[in-house]
Parts: sequence; structure tokens; C-alpha cells
Amino acid sequence: MSDAAHAHDDHGHGHPSGVMRWLTTTNHKDIGTLYLFFALIMLFVAGSMALLIRAELFQPGLQLTNPDFFNQLTTMHGLIMIFGVIMPAFSGFANWQVPLMLGAPDMAFPRMNNWAFWVLPVAGLLLMGSFWLPGGAVAGGWTMYPPLFIQGGISYDLTILAVHIMGLSSIMGSINIVTTILNMRAPGLTLMKMPLFCWTWLITAYLLIATMPVLAGAVTMLLTDRNFGTHFFNAAGGGDPVMFQHIFWFFAHPEVYILILPAFGIVSQVIPTFARKPLFGYASMVYATASIAILSFIVWAHHMFTVGMPAAAQLFFMFSTMLIAVPTGVKVFNWVATMWKGSMTFETPMLFAIAFVCLFTIGGFSGLVLAIAPVDIQLHDTYYVVAHFHYVLVSGALFSIFAGIYYWLPKWTGHMYDETLGKWHFWLSVIGMNIVFFPMHFLGLAGMPRRIPDYALQFTEFNQIATVGAFIFGFSQLIFLIVVLKTIKGGAKATDRVWEGAEGLEWTLPSPAPYHTFETAPVVK
Amino acid sequence: MEQVKTEVCAGESAGAFVFQSRPNLSLTRPQERLVFWSLAALCFATAIGFAWLGYWLILPFAGLEIGLLAWAFKALRSREGDYESLVIEGDVVVLEWHRGKHGARRELNRQWARVECNCRTPGRNCRLSLCSHGHATEVGQYLNDEARLQLAAVLRSRLQG
Repeated sequence: MSDAAHAHDDHGHGHPSGVMRWLTTTNHKDIGTLYLFFALIMLFVAGSMALLIRAELFQPGLQLTNPDFFNQLTTMHGLIMIFGVIMPAFSGFANWQVPLMLGAPDMAFPRMNNWAFWVLPVAGLLLMGSFWLPGGAVAGGWTMYPPLFIQGGISYDLTILAVHIMGLSSIMGSINIVTTILNMRAPGLTLMKMPLFCWTWLITAYLLIATMPVLAGAVTMLLTDRNFGTHFFNAAGGGDPVMFQHIFWFFAHPEVYILILPAFGIVSQVIPTFARKPLFGYASMVYATASIAILSFIVWAHHMFTVGMPAAAQLFFMFSTMLIAVPTGVKVFNWVATMWKGSMTFETPMLFAIAFVCLFTIGGFSGLVLAIAPVDIQLHDTYYVVAHFHYVLVSGALFSIFAGIYYWLPKWTGHMYDETLGKWHFWLSVIGMNIVFFPMHFLGLAGMPRRIPDYALQFTEFNQIATVGAFIFGFSQLIFLIVVLKTIKGGAKATDRVWEGAEGLEWTLPSPAPYHTFETAPVVK
Repeated sequence: MEQVKTEVCAGESAGAFVFQSRPNLSLTRPQERLVFWSLAALCFATAIGFAWLGYWLILPFAGLEIGLLAWAFKALRSREGDYESLVIEGDVVVLEWHRGKHGARRELNRQWARVECNCRTPGRNCRLSLCSHGHATEVGQYLNDEARLQLAAVLRSRLQG
């Protein structure tokens, strides 16, 4: 209740239109859509870089690029895929789904939510624009290791600025998600009744808040080393480049889980729906997610066994890394147990979710192989590592994003997607993905180093197979684009519940979900 | 978009009509303390640890971030006291509201009070106000359209009766 004069501040009653709607919007659905479209555009940008990389690697020798440009491509591919595709896509899901799943009308801080998104394209432009600067884009790897990152040109400064901006966006987004989940749950929706997607995002946001200052500090120290004469990491001045690796991975290993925990959440929503059974072991899923998050703080040095460290430290990081397999195994077991004797149907979201469970497990197992310090010393910086993290991030994170899009798109748009095209997209993606990345295990085991544009003749066949797979996988994403655009434009009317086995507050809303929802919170029994 | 008000109560109290609503705030103080202090401890422990080794530039970022988190929780707490109430007793209509740092009370004469409900589209995007002497006060801001329309009907009958 307020005086009418005050009430003009309340922007919840109108439905703005045009460009200003998107620039000034504080509506969680609009902002979720913006995140998802940003991620989609960046997926094609960074995916094109991947295709260029694979085209270059189709045969030994230099065909399309020079070594420096090749390094720029690998670096930017990694940076954009992580910070421009996976993270924004999950933020898009969080924006769309968290308030709907909690019975909340919006995020806790809608204006901050708007800022959190709109700084992202600025960072994206800084990153992409650096290709046109003297010296080209950054070429020192997405990990930004010194001394390369101290020695590079102006694009390195811009990349540091872009990383700061993306970090700011993540912090604002995370604080919003934590406060929304904790403070805006519908009456009766206790923490242990929350959908698992909300739990995984709560823990992800917690991890982001805990680790972002480390990244910000690390890149700022790089910046001062480059421009202000400090020597934090500059060996020439008594600094320690290895210490950057410790600091970076202290951030970046939790970051790996930031990239995968929301994927666990999406899959944990999709599988019970199409198995028509409640999620097996809900509480154990929550505790497993929390355990993975806690363990992520004590495993960072498994990325740097080769820099040299005492045997005791190697053993500690090796065993702590292996320990992560336990809660992850609990999750995989629970997903399989949920499907066990379920009345399963295999619509596109379920297909992607099943592929996630199978292929992410392969990525997890190759991670266990790499956790073994003596083996890692052999495989470090080989294509085995490339295969491992692509099984985690492509068939893990990206496939879960596809599953989530197909699962919730009817709720968002009010139209059913084209199931036939969806299945084409799935099969081409899953076949293409395995053709690209599975041979990389063999390349790595045979000793082919990563981040090189040329290679010994013995690696040719597997590289050619990988390149063919990359083009199948890459071009199959155009089907996904068509499906999304087609669904937005029209299609069969989606019912409110959309899926027979779907449970949760979001399915009580009409399809498409109205612009304003849950202005009065529902009561959850 | 404001917080949803779900704690709505409307009814008779000693002959008076009373309508009250409060925000739905699910965050408890122990939860807030646990989340805030665990994050602050983790961030500062990490930052101080690295500062101890000479890498002190993490510390100011940890401070800024925890400051932002503290502000966010403080902003949430400031909503704890939000409410709106409407009492019709005899010939007097008393409106009271409190939002963040702002609050007010207004008394209207029941005979002069008029219910206005403007919907941009039929039944949707409605604003409910009590008007008197050329001055409108919005009511039921925390309700959805359906509940707002119901309240409007109840108020009309109460003001006429």
C-alpha cells in the first residue's frame, strides 16, 4: 500500500516493448532470455573457432593458420566457451527457472540482475575486438599463465579487463541467486523440498562468490606486473610464475564445478520427468553436490603435477581428487536408479540427459586417470587432457544445456518444439561429439601435445577422424538453431504441464509462462 | 518487482474490517548468518593466506565482494518490516503501509472513500486504489490480480455497508 505518487516506481504493471524493453528490463524471464541468446551467439562464435582449429589439424603442416593465430584461436575458444557460453547459459536457466520453481515473482534484486547481464556483452566485445588489435588476440591459453601473459600486447590488458567484467557479472548474478533462493521461497517450500536445480545453483553461486576474488586478484596482479612494475609473477624481478598457477587453479578448479553443478541440476529435473518416478535419493543428491563443492577447494594442484611438488603434496592432491569420484558416483547411481523400472519415454530432453549420464561418466573416468600423479605427468598437456575436459564440458555441460532447452522451451514459448528435428540434432550431436573427442584419447596416449598447429605424421588418421566429427557436430548445431527459432515462431500449442511426468511449481503456470508470475506466492504442502 | 506478499489476512475484528498483508520472506536469521559468515570466512581466509605469501591484491576484492553481499543481506532485512494494513471501523478507514525506510498512515472518511480498480487489460495488470478528496492511495500492491479484484469487491461492499 502506498500513495499513488510513490506507486509510479512500481514497474511491475506495464509490459514494455521494443529495444528499451530488453535494455531496461528487470523481468527475470526477459533477462533469462537475454542470457540464453547471448550464450547461443557465443556458441556459434567459439564453435566457428573450434572448426577452424580442427580444419587446420586435418593434416600435418600449416594449411590455414600460422602458429600464433592458431594459439589465439585455442585461447579465445576456451575463454569464450567457458565465460561466454556455458556460464551465461546456466545463468539464463537460473533466471528463467529459479523464480518459477520457488514460486517467487522475480529475482531478489532485479535491477542488479539487469546490470549483471548487460556488462557481459561489453566483455564479449572486448574479447572479440582484440582479434583486430596489433598483435592479435591473446594467445597464452585460457589459463592466462605468465610469463606469456606478462609479455603479450595490448589485447592481454583488454582480456584482463574483460575477465574483471565477467567476474563482476558473475558476482552480481550469484548474490542475486543466493538471496533469491534463500529469501523468496514460497511458504512451505523448505530447503529440502526445493527442486534439485535450485540446490545445485545455490551451491554453484556459493562457489562463485567464494572464488571470484581470487580470480580478480590474480588477473589484477598480472595487470600490475605488465604495467606498473610489480613482480608478483615475473621471475625476472624475483616473482614466482608457478604461484600464479596455484592462485589460478584455486579459482579454476571450483570453476570447473561451477560449470557442471547446474548441469547436474538440469539432468536431475529431466530424468525423473521422463522416467515418471521421483528422483532417487534426493537428500543424498544434495549432500553429494555439497561434498563436490567442498572438495573442489582442496584439489587444485592436480592441474600442475608437472611443475614439481613434494611427493606428499602429490599424494594429497591425487587422493583428494579421487575422493571426488565418490559423491559423483552417488549422483550417477541415483540417476540410473531413478530410471530403473521407470515408465521411460525417450523425448529429446531425455535423450540428451541419458547421453549426459553415459558420456559425462566417461569424462569422469578419464579424470580419474589424470588424477594419478605419475600418469598425469605422462599425459599432461596432451590430447588426452583435451579429450577428458571435452567429455566433461561438451557431453556434460553442453548436453545438459540442450536437455534443459528442449525440456523448458515449451513452457517458455508456449509451443512444442519439432521432435523430429530435435532427435536429428541429438543423434548427430552425440555421434559427432564422440567422433571428435574419443580419438583424442588415443592421440594423447600416443603423446600428441595440445595447442600445436602441426604434428607428427603418425597422428594424422585420428586427427582426420576428429576433424570430420567436429564438422558433423558443428553443423548439427544449426539444426538446434532452427528448432529454437521455429519453436519461438510457432508450433503445436504446449499444454500447461507440457510433460506427463513433470512435477514442480513451474508446471502449474500456463504455457507460455505469463510475463508476471507468482505475484502471490503459492503455498507448497 | 516487489516481494510477494502471501501473509494476507482479512476479516472482522471487534466489528471492524481488517486487511493486512506482509511479505513472504523465507530467509531465517540463522540461515543468513551461516551463509554470510561462512562465505566471509572462506573468502578472507583465502585472501589472507595468499596475502601472507605476498599476493595481497586478492584481499581488496574479497573485501569489496563481501561488502556487496553484506549490502544485499541488509537490503533483504530492510524488507522484513514491510506491511500494509487497512482497517474499516465505524466511519473511519485507516490505511497504513511501510516499505523499506518509508511508511505512512492515512485516515479517510468512509462515506467519502471510493474504490478504484483500473485494469490495463480486462482482469489483468490491475491497480487498486482508495480515493478520497482527490488523493489516491494504492492498496493490495502485493496481491496478484485475482486477489486484488476480490479485495476490491470486498472493499466496495464494506464501504457501502
